[in-house]
Amino acid sequence: VRLHQPALTPPLLSIFILSASALAYEILLLRLFSIIHWHHFASMIISIALLGYGISGSLITLFRDRLLPHYQQVFIANALLFGLSSLVCFIIVQHFPFNSLEILWDSSQWFQLLLSYLLLTLPFFFVANAVALSLMRFSERIPLLYGIDLIGAGLGVLLMVILLQNFSLNNVLRLLAVCGISAGLFSLRGLKQGQAQLNLALIVMCLIIVILAPYRWTDLRLSPYQGLSQALSVKGTTLLQSHSSAIARTDVVQSKQIPFRHAPGLSLSSPAGPPEQLAVFRDGDQMTTIDIVSSPTVLEYYDYMSTALPYKLHPSPQNVLILASTTGALVLQADKFEAQQIDVVEPDLHMSNLITDEFADYIGWSKLQHKVDIHNITSRGFAASAGLYDLVIMGPPSASSGGSAGVHAVAVNYDYTVEALQSYLQLLKPNGLLSLTLWTSTPARANIKLLATVVSAMKNIGIDQPGQHIAWIRSWNTATLLIKNSVLTATDIIAVRQFSASRGFDLAWLPDINPDEANRYSILQNPVFYQAAKALLQESDDSFIDNHLFRLQPASDNKPFFNFYFKGSSLNDLLSMPGQTGLSLIGVGYPTLLITLAQALAAALLLILGPLVFIRFNQKRKAVSRCRIIVYFMGIGLAYLFIELAFIQKFTLILSQPLYAVAVTLCAFLIFSGLGSLYIQHRMKTASETTLSNLLLGSVIGITLISIIYVLLLPQISQMLMALPEPARLSSAFILAAPLAFVMGMPFALGLTSLQQSSPELIPWAWGINGCASVLSAILAVLLAIEIGFNGVLISAAVLYIIAWFSWPHERFANQGSGQ
Amino acid sequence: VTTKYINICWLIILILLPIGQILADEYATRRQQMIAEIEDDVRRTASYINTTSFSKQVMRAMNSIPRHEFVNRSLRSNAYENRPLPIGHGQTISQPYIVALMTDLLQPEPDHRVLEIGTGSGYQAAILSALVKQVYTIEIIEALGKSSKRLFSRLGYDNIETDITDGYNGWPQQAPFDSIIVTAAISHIPPPLVRQLKNGGRMIIPVGTRFQTQHLTLVEKDDQGRVSTRQVLPVVFVPFTGGH
Repeated sequence: VRLHQPALTPPLLSIFILSASALAYEILLLRLFSIIHWHHFASMIISIALLGYGISGSLITLFRDRLLPHYQQVFIANALLFGLSSLVCFIIVQHFPFNSLEILWDSSQWFQLLLSYLLLTLPFFFVANAVALSLMRFSERIPLLYGIDLIGAGLGVLLMVILLQNFSLNNVLRLLAVCGISAGLFSLRGLKQGQAQLNLALIVMCLIIVILAPYRWTDLRLSPYQGLSQALSVKGTTLLQSHSSAIARTDVVQSKQIPFRHAPGLSLSSPAGPPEQLAVFRDGDQMTTIDIVSSPTVLEYYDYMSTALPYKLHPSPQNVLILASTTGALVLQADKFEAQQIDVVEPDLHMSNLITDEFADYIGWSKLQHKVDIHNITSRGFAASAGLYDLVIMGPPSASSGGSAGVHAVAVNYDYTVEALQSYLQLLKPNGLLSLTLWTSTPARANIKLLATVVSAMKNIGIDQPGQHIAWIRSWNTATLLIKNSVLTATDIIAVRQFSASRGFDLAWLPDINPDEANRYSILQNPVFYQAAKALLQESDDSFIDNHLFRLQPASDNKPFFNFYFKGSSLNDLLSMPGQTGLSLIGVGYPTLLITLAQALAAALLLILGPLVFIRFNQKRKAVSRCRIIVYFMGIGLAYLFIELAFIQKFTLILSQPLYAVAVTLCAFLIFSGLGSLYIQHRMKTASETTLSNLLLGSVIGITLISIIYVLLLPQISQMLMALPEPARLSSAFILAAPLAFVMGMPFALGLTSLQQSSPELIPWAWGINGCASVLSAILAVLLAIEIGFNGVLISAAVLYIIAWFSWPHERFANQGSGQ
Repeated sequence: VTTKYINICWLIILILLPIGQILADEYATRRQQMIAEIEDDVRRTASYINTTSFSKQVMRAMNSIPRHEFVNRSLRSNAYENRPLPIGHGQTISQPYIVALMTDLLQPEPDHRVLEIGTGSGYQAAILSALVKQVYTIEIIEALGKSSKRLFSRLGYDNIETDITDGYNGWPQQAPFDSIIVTAAISHIPPPLVRQLKNGGRMIIPVGTRFQTQHLTLVEKDDQGRVSTRQVLPVVFVPFTGGH
């Protein structure tokens, strides 16, 4: 086929741009759909859409003979189609009235979900076509092309972070479409003049369409069930500000006629509610509020919230640390109780700017600023280098309209792990207090898990009788857990009792608690909080947690799934509950992940095995065992993302900012893997089959050894790095990723090179298998991490690389395969 | 010619009349099925709600109110399924079982005056209107408030008074109330509502998402004015969706 083609050079720049745009588009879609729906459904939609790579591999395997003679034209067409479809498909999909909350009730939602998958698959399909055809057309330079593909993708991540920080989501979407279309421009060389002019005209036309498409078409249409949509549907509500960054979209809303009033756990005996407030929504949902402080008296309600408890034991504290402050409610409370110095930790700079800058007058910032220091870092990062405090306070998370449906079940959370709580406890002065408040849920799970985590952390730092240090109270919808660095005194205990009784809060634990005190004001069917505290603090009875219907074992940095409660051994009990109660108790997050895996598996099987049926009938020559190809490319595809995802988690701790962790990990891994692939291209000039084999063996040994070293040493390395300044941490993470990523870039290039020598017609098929594996891998990594932790995921990846090495599809096996 | 047209009109009316009757019968049959499902659900959840049946008056009200009038035309065929349905503006009409449970927990009496915060479709207010003397209902979404008002007037529920305003402050001019029902998502129980509840009164608040009620919080004010809360249905309950 190639003999009939004019001499061409690979369109490296076009591939680079396309790969960068595709990865950037993937990240953008995740952001867009996290705002339109909830994050877990965004992940599901995008995971499945990435199967476009698999579909492309299968189709090109089948139609290569028809496509390759027109390589250049097809390449340009796919670049144009990527650009166009990236915009058009998003516009169509966001107009579907899909409602993820209704999925249990309404089967038509599944049809809309399927349509969304199909449409969003298209842009990735077109990019994959362009790259896979290039790999076939220039099969002697596979490592070079693959290296450029990876480096492009790596820089695409950086590009996306920069774009998201500086442009609106609407503009970024168009910009990526323009990039995709422009990639076609750099592959016109070599076309006949007439063809080139025609293609140029097409490119210009597509660019005009994308640039001139009305903005209202691409304006985000949030689910009407998101908190922001609901707030804006109230009469007299105005959107004061909408700001988008790579971390989140933030909307500030004011409702003058029907003001917002948010006060989690306010006592029923409170004489007044909160003052009028501004509402702040993150990604269209998670709501916090900014008090409009017209006079000090409007803040009286802070004295009637369960979060006021630490100030009753430690009035007028010298210094207070507030972790994850969001929009200043806890700062105002600390000020009300005359804290002299307040340190606030808020990772998102824009959120803190709301109270220090844009809406400073509302909260009365000018009166606070002399005593408040805000640190834009995660709680863990700050705790690694902070001083000592009288009070360390962590308030309830923001209110999410999907939270109670379990949408955050599989999200990682490093704020409530054993290691995190140890670090908070170590910030306390000798008589200092740590106060943790959570929303209560039905049945009680998060609060009991928090208690178990606290007990574990206290024992780790040498506190043998945690029950003597803890007070625990609850309102009708929040619970505050108070931990003192020293034993609670009689005065402390009296203060807790007086506060609880006067506010109508129930006691869940005090060192001398009477069972009658546990269920007086907010009556539960069983006093489960007290029962849990008694078991864990008085009887040190681990069987309470072990035998519980839900997974309430403490979360750790290795398994940072604080909101995950499902226990496989309870499945039968849950399913035997009336109606679909059990299913609902599992929450939507975990089943969504399982359903996504099932869908991806079914699609992957179809895409991988489907073409095989046709090849068997169409090909006269049998080459390398198909089974070996599947195992090899599936293995390295799964393993690559296992490692990448595990490192995103590991680096989240080091970099103290999840966004940096994602950006640095993806960027470092893709770029250094690209360099690894380019190194293979360099070695190929002189390499024999044996050299390639040795290179593969070397890379697998390298991956295995480095993974093991990191499993053993990364916790210590993280601890050392967390206290360093930001540039040092960023560069350290890059350096840590480099050696592993470099060797990880070799196996795929080596596999395709080997295939090029034995069965070149299967190159796109192998490319598709790898694409399918990547989709499965992202889901499997989370499922595995829940069970065996992220260290287990790293080890699994090393094992998969070893399995892949055993099934390397090179010529020796091709000879064996020909006899099959 | 005029007689001819009059005859045609009569003919059309004669044809439409039975169709209307057939549809009305169809809805009545579905309502009966819905009642049977609610009764079945009550028995299955008896251990969580401490009762094996709701009061006869409540079930009679559930059987008399035309739920299909409170949903969009496109969803009328689903109106009597035991599940929540979207009504626009990101709001839902609650599932019949939950409506019946909340109404039963309020222990309505014919001389009661009830305040509802969150009119929504108006269905809950309509059920209450069949059981109590007067219902005061407040909605913050203007479009919903207006459409409910029109619907109450059309269906002749003249003991329901609707206002489009801030429900946080209750309805001080009409306070105190024998019971209050709050169907909006809230982070705390508004102090004005606690004050506007009579001694011995009850307030009910569903907690959860729009499509899944997790539990109900029952606020009780005793004869001395002391307030406590009680959790009812302390597990999520989503009834079977099949078989409708």
